Amino acid sequence: MGDWRQQVEALREQAEGLPEGDAKVRTLEEAVRLADTHGDVPLGYALRDGLIDAATFGGFPDKALVAFAWCRGQQKKDPQRFDPEDMLWKQKWVVGRLDEFPHISRKQIADALDDVEQSFAKLDAGQRAALKLRYQMARDMGDTAEAERLWEAWLVAPRDHLTDCRVCELDDELDHHVDRGEWEQAVKKAKPILDGRQSCAEIPHLTLGTLLYPFFKLNRLEEARACHVRGYAMVAKNREFLATVGEHLEFLALTGNLSRGLTVLEKHLGWALEHSSHRDRFTFYAAGSFLLGQVTADGREEVSLRLPKAFPLHAVDGGYATRALRDWMETQARDIAARFDARNGTARFMELLARNEVLAKEARLFPLD
Amino acid sequence: MDHRFQVSLRGVIDLLSHHLYSSPGVYVRELLQNATDALRARQQLEPGASGSVGLELREKQDGGPPTLLFTDEGVGLTEEEIHRFLATIGESSKREVLEARRNDFIGQFGIGLLSCFMVCDELLVVTRSARGDGRTLEWRGRHDGTYDVRVSEHPLDAPGTHVYLVAREDMAEWFTPERVRQLARHYGGLLPFPVRLTVNGATEQLNPDGPPWRRLYETAGEKRQALLAYGREVFGTDFLDVIPLRSAAGDVDGVAFVLPASPHFNAKQKHRVYLKHMLLSESAENLLPEWAFFVKCVVNANGLRPTASRESFYEDTVLSQAREALGQSLRQYLMDLAREEPRALQRLIALHGLSVKGLALDDDDFYRLVIDWLPFETSLGMMTLADYRRSWPVVRYTPTMDGFRQVARVAAAQGLCVLNAAYTHDTALLEKLPHVVSDAQVSAFSSADLPQTFEELTLDEREAIYPLLRLAEGVLAPFRCGVEVKKFFPAEVPTLYSSDAEGAFRRDAARAKEESDDLYAGVLDGVMAGAGGGEQAQLCLNLHNPVVRRLAAVESRELLKVSVEMLYVQALLLGQHPLNAQEMALLNHGLLGLIAARLDEGGGSSGPGSRGMH
Repeated sequence: MGDWRQQVEALREQAEGLPEGDAKVRTLEEAVRLADTHGDVPLGYALRDGLIDAATFGGFPDKALVAFAWCRGQQKKDPQRFDPEDMLWKQKWVVGRLDEFPHISRKQIADALDDVEQSFAKLDAGQRAALKLRYQMARDMGDTAEAERLWEAWLVAPRDHLTDCRVCELDDELDHHVDRGEWEQAVKKAKPILDGRQSCAEIPHLTLGTLLYPFFKLNRLEEARACHVRGYAMVAKNREFLATVGEHLEFLALTGNLSRGLTVLEKHLGWALEHSSHRDRFTFYAAGSFLLGQVTADGREEVSLRLPKAFPLHAVDGGYATRALRDWMETQARDIAARFDARNGTARFMELLARNEVLAKEARLFPLD
Repeated sequence: MDHRFQVSLRGVIDLLSHHLYSSPGVYVRELLQNATDALRARQQLEPGASGSVGLELREKQDGGPPTLLFTDEGVGLTEEEIHRFLATIGESSKREVLEARRNDFIGQFGIGLLSCFMVCDELLVVTRSARGDGRTLEWRGRHDGTYDVRVSEHPLDAPGTHVYLVAREDMAEWFTPERVRQLARHYGGLLPFPVRLTVNGATEQLNPDGPPWRRLYETAGEKRQALLAYGREVFGTDFLDVIPLRSAAGDVDGVAFVLPASPHFNAKQKHRVYLKHMLLSESAENLLPEWAFFVKCVVNANGLRPTASRESFYEDTVLSQAREALGQSLRQYLMDLAREEPRALQRLIALHGLSVKGLALDDDDFYRLVIDWLPFETSLGMMTLADYRRSWPVVRYTPTMDGFRQVARVAAAQGLCVLNAAYTHDTALLEKLPHVVSDAQVSAFSSADLPQTFEELTLDEREAIYPLLRLAEGVLAPFRCGVEVKKFFPAEVPTLYSSDAEGAFRRDAARAKEESDDLYAGVLDGVMAGAGGGEQAQLCLNLHNPVVRRLAAVESRELLKVSVEMLYVQALLLGQHPLNAQEMALLNHGLLGLIAARLDEGGGSSGPGSRGMH
């Protein structure tokens, strides 16, 4: 019996030394399966606690959700032993991403949000955290009026121990200004993050991607370049940042850095193909479609790319018709958008996709090389 | 009319000492910085001017706190500059303004002086400007925010500045000769101007030799030893080797030290960095390419911009070019090792494989040079990729640890070599192989591929096994598991269960759903509905196994069914696939049946509901 426990310990140790990502998540999954095979519920719970973190920060929201759901079951069965309070913070992460799965219904999302709010209310805390979650959900699902109302409510609610850190909140605030085209405001608010005075696990990684377009619109291209160079290096090794990689892709296309763009595309397409967040896939495919549209417009009918074998149009010799590639990306983005919009009852994703036409008009050369 | 805020200097100093300055010792750094800037300004004014910086500790006869006299032969200050720079301390709390001023030779003077109030209550600055009217001026500033300026009764012979600090009683520990020497060496040990310390009439130069990597040595061996000793002094570590660093962009030079042990993967190495020969940071992180975490370095940069926090450099084009060039220095070292000292390279790979692999991923030429030397775990033991490719034309690898564990034993028994590519970078490195080496073939391998390597049944065996096969298919269909029969080794293994990563995750999700509440069970359905289908799991029976052979001859359908169920559950458990509720029921049911059958055989009375396996 001691043998498998040692194996679990070795796996846990190994996972600790790994960077965020695939290998770390799989190593912890293996440890969880060992504990489950031997029916050790407390160990399975403790291991999943780490797995939720690794899956959340390593780009596997589906795996975080599965691990959380299992833990949730144990909490319901034996709340003395498995205190739900210890996992409230992780519950925020998990629930915050439910809308990224188009097969989860609006009702289920609403129920999960209510459930979060009730769990928080039991502790007489977490009002601000819950409001932010609701705001972000409403925003992501295209419920503009509701998002507007919740934005106000979120920012006046008092902070407490369940509130996200100030830097993460600041980063989330930027989205609101970008949505409204308030470029100056977004850039100004982001200053403490840009200066490197404040940071968190995923900040400034996310912020630098968010600010590319505002800087482009403000014609502050040198600053946009700095955001790209610094930001892309931060996100290029972790699939958790697929959507941010998409933002960099869009920026490269927008500024005519097409060769760089194709390099980014070929490097990260593999993530998009199997990413469980359909929202992140959408962002990447939409940007990929825009890039390939620009390459086509540039007169390139064929491009050579090293794309993964799992890619449905995979060509052994690496030669692809640009237009066909673009159409494939566009179709993927459109399919996902249609599913999201049907679920949400709004038109947000189709509108986001239509933005590519605007971008094509705004594009202008700013060579990074 | 407008009024001005009354700002308490004391309060500002408190704030700064808590937030801007890491320790009271930085007063030495700020004074050195002021002196250096003043000397550079003088050189600009009078090309060819040389100068020095002096520190003199004067002990009080009565045992009271000592005085530190800090002198430079720099450009000095005019009266207008004194008012402008020394009296408008804290004019803006914005770091950018402070930064902008730092780049101005004298603009930052006041800011630097402010730090002195952490260790003394009164400051006397005696200065004569090289640009002024030849008068020597005295500025006396007090921590309560008052100051006065007058013409000095003790004029200086030449332009320059003398700063007198009388140690505050409770800060005397920052004025001992040892402490002052250590601080001045620490911050200014590489300065290109002589820095001298005088204590009790005895004077020593604190920076006699300049940066150790620029000194001339008799032999390469001597240089290496000297630099390794320097690395030990700076970082307290016995390093393996030293690598010279040079970048024209940013005007950077220095040395990198190879760490003697494998660093933690995400450990960012903290480097010691000098800006124009003044110590900037001991924890700069963004100087080298990401893969280069096998070294710690000491560098001086003349042309990089520090960030506001002064912990690292501002991410601009110059920095990215410098990073590229410094990466090239390290790459060159590794390339030379690969060509000239492959054994040393192998030792380095054993310690710093992650760095080597990281670079190989980004750099095709380097990849070609080192890929053959990289060691991998395989089902037949550790071997380098060159060894592997000598014996097997196709590189078969498993991308996950779990996948490797599932195939390793059986693959080894068939004499099949499968490579474990679950470790960081390995899968990406192998997938790159055909793109870089033209005739190479690689292929991902999983337990589902194993049966293709197994021996087929003869026609007679096929016929004999057919009833078992049909029945097993029916029994396992509800578990989304297919069945096949082959012959493989080791013979004592009756079955091989295989599923892909998606299949394993589906099983996890199904079990989580069983455990969870209605809300999350519903949510999980939504998640899994959008996931990829994946291949169906397979149970491969081994006809080399005696039990399986005997099973083929059994006619009782009931007995066959229970046996297949038990083989299935056993295969799952052996492969460390946790059982779901339905499978757990199979196990319990089967075990009880076995006990009952044993009891029947042994003549025990058979109770109602028991099921024999006659």
